[in-house]
Amino acid sequence: MFSSLYPFYMVFRVKMFLNIRNGLSVATNSSKVIRQLCTKAAAFENVTNNKQSNESSKNNVVDYRHIYPEFLPDPKPEFRNVLREKLERSDMIARRTQIQIPEFYVGSILAVTSSDKHTPGKNNRFVGICIDREGCGLRATFILRNVIEQQGVEVKFELYDPTLHKIEVLRLEKRLDDKLFYLRDALPQYSTFDPNMEPELLPGGSTVPVNNLKVKLKPKPWLERWERQNLQGVEDLGLPEKFYIRAKELEKPWEKYDLMKDYMKTIPEEEQTEIFSEVQSHLHKLEVTRKQMKRKRVFVKPSKLA
Amino acid sequence: MNQADVSKLVSQLKFRVNPRLRKFRNSGGPEERLNWLRKTVTALIKHERIELNYPRADEARMYAERLISDAIRYGDCHKTTMDVADYWIVEKQLIHKLFKVLVPRYEHYNVAYTRLIKVPRVYPGDTLPKAVLELKGNPYPSLLPDTSTNRGIIHNVLLDEAKKAYRQQKYAEIAAKIDAAEEKFSDLKISGKDEKNVSSL
Repeated sequence: MFSSLYPFYMVFRVKMFLNIRNGLSVATNSSKVIRQLCTKAAAFENVTNNKQSNESSKNNVVDYRHIYPEFLPDPKPEFRNVLREKLERSDMIARRTQIQIPEFYVGSILAVTSSDKHTPGKNNRFVGICIDREGCGLRATFILRNVIEQQGVEVKFELYDPTLHKIEVLRLEKRLDDKLFYLRDALPQYSTFDPNMEPELLPGGSTVPVNNLKVKLKPKPWLERWERQNLQGVEDLGLPEKFYIRAKELEKPWEKYDLMKDYMKTIPEEEQTEIFSEVQSHLHKLEVTRKQMKRKRVFVKPSKLA
Repeated sequence: MNQADVSKLVSQLKFRVNPRLRKFRNSGGPEERLNWLRKTVTALIKHERIELNYPRADEARMYAERLISDAIRYGDCHKTTMDVADYWIVEKQLIHKLFKVLVPRYEHYNVAYTRLIKVPRVYPGDTLPKAVLELKGNPYPSLLPDTSTNRGIIHNVLLDEAKKAYRQQKYAEIAAKIDAAEEKFSDLKISGKDEKNVSSL
């Protein structure tokens, strides 16, 4: 898959090590000191405090699940294979050293630059709102939607596709729903985004904002029966009463109490910590290099044109 | 191909979970299935040991374990957990038992909280497989035979003696081997010294 990129990858890796070495050694030293201090302090504190600190450090690892959901395997037992999952994770890390895959969510606006085999030597750049994230491991995908010349366009990209050159997040935000397929039936203004949009920067250390936008849908016919899906990000649908009665009939209020169904849909916390503590150091390293590269990028003053 | 649901965090269950849930034959559909299992889970929490058909016991066990593990994880101040406990426990006075008795009992367990034992089939009789489902640490006498105190049974005494004799024989053989090796070594040493003496002369 990455054979053509391999020489570059090696060079990049060496450089990365050189860059990091100084910074990291200081960091590891300080972290050691902190750890020692922590252990000393914990000896004096009671057991409950110790438990809390353990939990908080654990939570940090588990919080990766929102940013990197594709690192978790498919919970279906017939698809599980520990060795394949491990190899896939190492491949994903290897790909992430080549291309910067940023943090994004359903509802974020992205720009993806990719090459097309039918137009060799040229790149496509597609801007759109992410309406869905699916799949896990190397097969993770996301769908971007935009309206281009009054025509709704959706492109499904694979996150670890080697033909992708660049993934930029133009606006990092979440919406009220996990999937935004209803934008297909919404007025076009809700999925129209300027292809020349400038990236909007969030202040450092802030949480990802949630956009409370309520979308207005076009009148029926629709692609799906949206009134049955308990959507939060949709304005009042304005349907006759019988539709809501039928939706009420088909509701499954007991499903939220089906503890085993929930359990079989997720990966338990113990397994998640195992997975993320395995990849954590690599991901952290990538983050550090990304920040260093960012700092190194010199601002070039635009020359005045006559 | 799905992505794992990351909105909820759950603790891992400490026993082998079935790959899929059973669809019991009932006229009420999935809702009735849960209603039916609720009764079993409530009975388990109430009586701490129940005997029932195996498939139902196996299914109810998973739900009871999940309920207890959630109760341990989130405590009684967590609204969702309280809602779930309210749904699963039909007799409401048992909710107190879940949070005040079972949670402290199982807080530091590293194993499953319940035990599922297959009941031997009676012949001739009902052919449906039966099982006993119980909460661990219950006050009843154990169902499994206590093997720690049966050393006095004649078979075990004889076996122990036989083992002891066998072991003694082996030790004797090893000692003899070591002795032989030492003798050989000392012989070699003596002969080596003689040779040295000869060369010096």
